[in-house]
Amino acid sequence: MATTLFQKIWDRHLVTSSEQANLLYIDRHLVHEVTSPQAFDGLRLAGRQARRPDLTVATIDHNVPTDDQLVIRDPLSKKQIETLRANCREFGVTLHDIASGRQGIVHVIGPELGLTLPGTTIVCGDSHTSTHGAFGALAFGIGTSEVEHVLATQTLWQGQRPGSLGVEITGRLAPGLEPKDVILAVIRAIGTGGATGQVIEYHGSAVRALSMEGRLTICNMSIEAGARAGLIAPDDVTIAYFTDQDRPFAPKGKLLEAAIADWRTLVTDDPTAFDRNIVLDASSLAPQVTWGTNPAMTVDVTGVVPSPDQTPFAAPADARRALEYMGLVPGTPIDQIAVDVVFIGSCTNGRIEDLRSAAHVMKGRHTAPGVRTLVVPGSEAVRKQAEAEGLDRVFTQAGAEWRQSGCSMCLAMNPDRLEPHQRSASTSNRNFEGRQGPLGRTHLVSPAMAAAAAVTGRFTDVRKLLDPRA
Amino acid sequence: MEPFKTHRGRLALFDWRDVNTDLIIPARYLKRIERTGFGPLLFADKRYAPGGAPEADAPDQHGPLAPDFPLNAEAFQGASILVVGRNFGCGSSREHAVWAVMQGGYRAVVAPGKGEGFADIFESNAYNNGLLPIELDPADWAILAQAVRDQPGTAEATIDLTAQTLTLHADGAKGSAFAFETPEGQRHRLIQGLDAIAETLAHDAAIRRYEQSAPAWLAPQPA
Ligand code: SF4
Repeated sequence: MATTLFQKIWDRHLVTSSEQANLLYIDRHLVHEVTSPQAFDGLRLAGRQARRPDLTVATIDHNVPTDDQLVIRDPLSKKQIETLRANCREFGVTLHDIASGRQGIVHVIGPELGLTLPGTTIVCGDSHTSTHGAFGALAFGIGTSEVEHVLATQTLWQGQRPGSLGVEITGRLAPGLEPKDVILAVIRAIGTGGATGQVIEYHGSAVRALSMEGRLTICNMSIEAGARAGLIAPDDVTIAYFTDQDRPFAPKGKLLEAAIADWRTLVTDDPTAFDRNIVLDASSLAPQVTWGTNPAMTVDVTGVVPSPDQTPFAAPADARRALEYMGLVPGTPIDQIAVDVVFIGSCTNGRIEDLRSAAHVMKGRHTAPGVRTLVVPGSEAVRKQAEAEGLDRVFTQAGAEWRQSGCSMCLAMNPDRLEPHQRSASTSNRNFEGRQGPLGRTHLVSPAMAAAAAVTGRFTDVRKLLDPRA
Repeated sequence: MEPFKTHRGRLALFDWRDVNTDLIIPARYLKRIERTGFGPLLFADKRYAPGGAPEADAPDQHGPLAPDFPLNAEAFQGASILVVGRNFGCGSSREHAVWAVMQGGYRAVVAPGKGEGFADIFESNAYNNGLLPIELDPADWAILAQAVRDQPGTAEATIDLTAQTLTLHADGAKGSAFAFETPEGQRHRLIQGLDAIAETLAHDAAIRRYEQSAPAWLAPQPA
């Protein structure tokens, strides 16, 4: 019988199983400061140890100030960070701390450091753990009780095996279009609950053509469609990620050869193995901009703010509430909406390619008067790489702020946040009410579109800014 | 975990769709490193009048309530069963959302649509804390929601987890018992109030066997 990649990974991680209760072994457990303190506390109370500290890795990302990581003014943030440090010491967990050179957003450093490997199970107390699926790993977010469970047992109970949804992306992306546009279009097509209880596998020619960075962006937002996880089968691009660059914790030499031989077997036998398959043509896409308060509330940049009775996944009352929150009037052309803040960063779009793409648009231009632009690398390694390429100077010469790594303005837990009623063009993944600060208004876009908004002061079809000869 | 066998309580209705965990508990409150104190922070950015939401380190000190937030209705005070819209708890994995709902006084949450009522991670988190997530057939859910709209403050329900039924007590609702399903493992654990870790550790031999069979390339290399 044809089997999906997801099922293959699932099956090889079963410790014990019945139809309704499956105990999965966890190969990598990533930890950050926000969702772990109560879990470590639970272990302490029960007198338990971390079973496999060698498979557990921590970093600090959500609370870190990005102007100067070393100066943490908020006493609660400081306490949360210090609690993680103390817990890592007590339980023997490796911590990639601030100033270690390896700190960054947990979903950016996992791949970078070679902790994320094809065919593995990866969990983290963070819903965007789906990001790591880009390598053909089964990666998903868990709650704090489950963090405690994984720390204590290195396993996790799961109910019935989730269903599988194939998302086939055909064609090719036109210049100015980015992986972010693809995933926003997918969520727009199926809704924020469209993949609840399912694991998405992205496949098709447009997926194969993507770099690892692009694949990470797509898998990152699987959770925004409600999916348990999202993944992409490993191929030459995946393997080159390990052979062409130093990945400190990844296998090397003979071990890497053995790993690659295994990774080559990680494919879905044929598309009929999916419970359901949907197709999206990448060639037909226009740049996407969200207008509302969830990521399915999305339109083309060439479109207008919809009327509340024409929103496929929201009841008119919900859509009206969203429009009111966002301060938008139906019928307004998207490219007439002015922005106050531009945020380029996050685990969705804080990797080197994202910064290159934003820099490409901003080079030789200047941010519009009154627009604050933050460019926040997803990790210290990304920051170093960008500086080596001179991207930091492109940003600062354009009038943008070049910052240190962290979650930054993706969520309002650190000093970077929107003021009430400020409107942002953001490369992050959630436009929920208050996500970037109480009463802040978030529009999700690609890095190129964010850069276009920064230099024009409003949402602008980035295709108009690209040199047609380039 | 406190066992859940049967529960009778008053119903409150909050029927927005796609209510996300940022709305249930805004991110700034996740700075708390305790498991407690989240009750007053539930829906904080909607529940209090502008500027009235508490600080993370002083949850009990807040301003006046927002008059039109549905759950602030006098009739819903003291309710212990929360009737919610589809895809409740979507977004972040924060278990703080479940802690806030429970510490806000609720023992069960009832949403429409089997497999669609709750976001996956919220649902697991709920089970792990003894908050019962119930997905009803949409038609049944609609009857329940209408009963709360018609008789706010008096509509009640009895949940029987062993029988997997929710019985509505409201005028004109005689004999309305709605069936729901809870995965066997979760049901067992809830009814017994079991600690999942202790249960898993009983499989220690199997876990060890599994670990011994892992290929060498899987281990993180010394960097
Ligand atoms: S960047 Fe945003 S979505 Fe990603 S881990 Fe940080 S807070 Fe979560």
